[in-house]
Amino acid sequence: MTIATRDTDGVVIFDITGEIRRSDNMETTLHHLVKSHLDRGKRRIMLNLEKVDFIDSFGVGEILASYISTQNLGGRFKLFSISKKLLLIFQITMLTKVLDIYEDEGCALRSFEQA
Amino acid sequence: MPDDGRLNRFLNRFGFADVRVPETRAVSYLFALFFLTTFSFYIIKPVKETFLIGVTPAWWPYADLATALLIGFVVALNARLLNRLPRRAYLTGTVLFFAACLFVFWYVFDAALQLQIRTPVIHSSAIFGVIPFQVAVRNIWPLPVFAFSFFSDVFIAMSVTQFWIAVNDTLDPYQAKRTVGLFVSGGLLGGIAGALLTSLLVRVVGPENLLLACPGILLVVLAAVRLVYGEQKKHRGEAEPSASPPKARVGYLESFGAVRRNRYLLLLAGLLASAMVAGSLINYQFKIVVKSVFASSVDRTSFLGSFFFAILVLSTLFHLAATRLVLKNFGIRLALLVAPVVLLLGSLSVFLLPAGALMAWASLVRGGDKIFDNTIGQSVRELLYIPVPDEIKYKAKIFIDMFVNKFAVGLGAGLFLLLYHASRFAYKAEPAQVREVGVLAVAFIALWMVLTGVVYGEYPSVVKKDLARKWKDADKVVEESVDVDVTRRVFDTVQSRERSATLYVMNVFDLMRRGRLSPELKELLGSQRDELRARSMDCLFDVGGEVFFQGFEEAIADEDFGKEVEKVIQSDDYKALMEGRLETVAGSASEIERMEAARLIGMMDPTPRAMRVLSVLLQDPSSEVATYALDSAAIHRRKEHIPLALSQLSNPLTCQGAQAALAAYGPAAEEALRAALQDEDLPPGVRRAIPDVLGRIGTQRGADILLAELGRCGEDMEPEIVGALYRIRSARPGVLFKEKKVRPEILRLVRKAGEIFLERVLDGQDPGATAALDLHVKRIFDLLTLVQPAEDVVKAYQNILQGTKRSVDYSLELLDNLLDRELKRALFPLLEDLPPEDRSVRLRKALRGLGRGRG
Repeated sequence: MTIATRDTDGVVIFDITGEIRRSDNMETTLHHLVKSHLDRGKRRIMLNLEKVDFIDSFGVGEILASYISTQNLGGRFKLFSISKKLLLIFQITMLTKVLDIYEDEGCALRSFEQA
Repeated sequence: MPDDGRLNRFLNRFGFADVRVPETRAVSYLFALFFLTTFSFYIIKPVKETFLIGVTPAWWPYADLATALLIGFVVALNARLLNRLPRRAYLTGTVLFFAACLFVFWYVFDAALQLQIRTPVIHSSAIFGVIPFQVAVRNIWPLPVFAFSFFSDVFIAMSVTQFWIAVNDTLDPYQAKRTVGLFVSGGLLGGIAGALLTSLLVRVVGPENLLLACPGILLVVLAAVRLVYGEQKKHRGEAEPSASPPKARVGYLESFGAVRRNRYLLLLAGLLASAMVAGSLINYQFKIVVKSVFASSVDRTSFLGSFFFAILVLSTLFHLAATRLVLKNFGIRLALLVAPVVLLLGSLSVFLLPAGALMAWASLVRGGDKIFDNTIGQSVRELLYIPVPDEIKYKAKIFIDMFVNKFAVGLGAGLFLLLYHASRFAYKAEPAQVREVGVLAVAFIALWMVLTGVVYGEYPSVVKKDLARKWKDADKVVEESVDVDVTRRVFDTVQSRERSATLYVMNVFDLMRRGRLSPELKELLGSQRDELRARSMDCLFDVGGEVFFQGFEEAIADEDFGKEVEKVIQSDDYKALMEGRLETVAGSASEIERMEAARLIGMMDPTPRAMRVLSVLLQDPSSEVATYALDSAAIHRRKEHIPLALSQLSNPLTCQGAQAALAAYGPAAEEALRAALQDEDLPPGVRRAIPDVLGRIGTQRGADILLAELGRCGEDMEPEIVGALYRIRSARPGVLFKEKKVRPEILRLVRKAGEIFLERVLDGQDPGATAALDLHVKRIFDLLTLVQPAEDVVKAYQNILQGTKRSVDYSLELLDNLLDRELKRALFPLLEDLPPEDRSVRLRKALRGLGRGRG
């Protein structure tokens, strides 16, 4: 898994490629990366999951931990471009009740303006 | 108008108030408005007293009763006009009306005095054919005196009410609280100026001619009203209440209803009424003593004039020296209690004093009552209205200020009359009369004190009503909406399909065994429907792997399937076979086999051999194997596995699983967690992961361990420990936190936040400084939830962070009532909207003595 970070209008976007899973030996986890941006004062975080094939329980834990850290500081955490198969599992496990998931980056960015 | 900055510095330096630059003009205009209002009143009042004292003293209560009975009609009219006319037009109209009335009274008194001269003369206006009017004035005398007394009561009541309505329209609660001292100063200075002008001019022009000065002053009041409302929009921002009146018609009964339906307003009305009755009775005591000491009306008037002036001067000095200090340092509660406590002690002392000391006693008690009423009492009373919602505030304020207060004065007069006749005062010496009235006064002061306590108890809850949470704790949102354990297992189950059919089936069985295989999940994992296959199974499990046994989907949908597998696992033959197999697999080179073994142990009974294998697997270099092993360790909760689980905290890939496993141990793991938390030789990652586990366990002991560690840990552990403590407070309201342990930590964080601002934020060179300050402030609030009502603290924090200007001020007002003086002094400069230099000065001052002499 690789994570590229960019900033669009004050929104930090993580473009993730590959699978968010435990077996990927990473130097920095997704949650640590999110926290480092929160520590720098960023409060609008988005994950681009367009190129993510699969997520295991570790990946879910990382996403939920990132969501909790962001929201508890009064920030907003959103996901976009999630694959259909992942969305199905997110729906079944009720993660869609908690996480803000958008079809694409434009919709996700606009949702910040509407909030 | 001078430059706002210069005027602001002047007001802050000499006005004994905390005025910010943007609000300087509005505050200045309000100051001028109140100054002019009391200036004109203190010309009217001595004239009224002069005429009233000319009437037999036995009539005094009747003058009060007349006001009490008639003021209700004025209140009704006032309420109606207030709600029908635009606010500015309404105030303009009433000021013009008062000016016209004053002119009429001047004419009446002037005519009456000329007619009363021993050698009758015809008034100069007789040339206009008004002789019948002058004759009528002579015939109905002293009715014009009572009419003027009533008018002066209406004038001051309406003018003061309208002034505070203008304050409420222009400033929000927090602005008003900071600046209220300045307005009261304006009122006092206006009164002194008016009284001084009266005392200087009265011998030259006569009392009635002084009234002619008032219409001119009221024209200047009109200009002040226009300027005040011109500033209104600038200072109420987005939360500005409509300055135009509500469309619905509001009358006397509705004003009464607004008070009757609101418990807080009802208590406030009771508090104010009891204070007024006590003040009225003290006034009668004072009059009895003055009457007995000063036989001649000239001496008496002279004394009253001096007394009146002295009260105003002393009120001003007391106000400048004490009102703001008491409010800022001790809050509303003590400010509310000062007057009744002093008056109670003063009133009780009359029963011990000799008759010769009565004049001094009466002057002190009456003077004290008036001084407190003019200064701290006035400020606090108005502050108590501020949290009341706008839609009922005006109705309630009019009713309480103009009806309840006058009713209380009438009640005081009625009680005095009753006592006067029932106790045959005419046949008793003055000291006895004073003491008998004193019994009643003490009773009402006691009631005043009780109601003060009750109103103060309600005050924070009224402030809170205007504050709402901006967001829920994300942990709770997740907890309420998602079963995280099942979610993780579902993802692992789906993922295991690509690794091993055996692992996949075991995972499915595990979900089934735990009763977490919901119909939706069964559908996802086992449905034969083509549609779902196409939609989910095919796309989910398109990664290849072993072939399932035929009929698997039917099997997992069958309720007996689970029972049959359970029977197999529990059988002795199976155990004997598998224990041997497990020992072999534990040393296997195949990661998949070790994962299967780790999963299987969680499904088996905890035999010694199985637990030994689990110990090995808990140290497996593969994070996948270790995570399955941690899952099994969480099921069996054997003590010998705790150190192994702890060691997995250092690996970011197994940390989540290790935390979940240790949390599953519950209190049994607390001692090991405490030791690890305090072991500075352990990797930082391990120690940083422990507070979360203790937070999830959420026991009193866990909270104590975290709090103790917070006191000795370095800054690197602080975020995790504070976060875990907040989590415990949020989830377990029953857990107790000793203030003496929490407070030093809060003060330490406040000091640290202050230092970050002074050393890093102020110079603007460090881009991360503001973010660091924000995180420290968050931690301060997290810790505050441990020792203050958590919901209130959270609401205050969230509104300060993301609220409107109005809700920020309500939050500060709420904190002002929750926190002690030392904490407020240091914390508020970090929270308030201040210019950097001002913030810097306040912080340096506050941090200098912060936490000295405490834990």
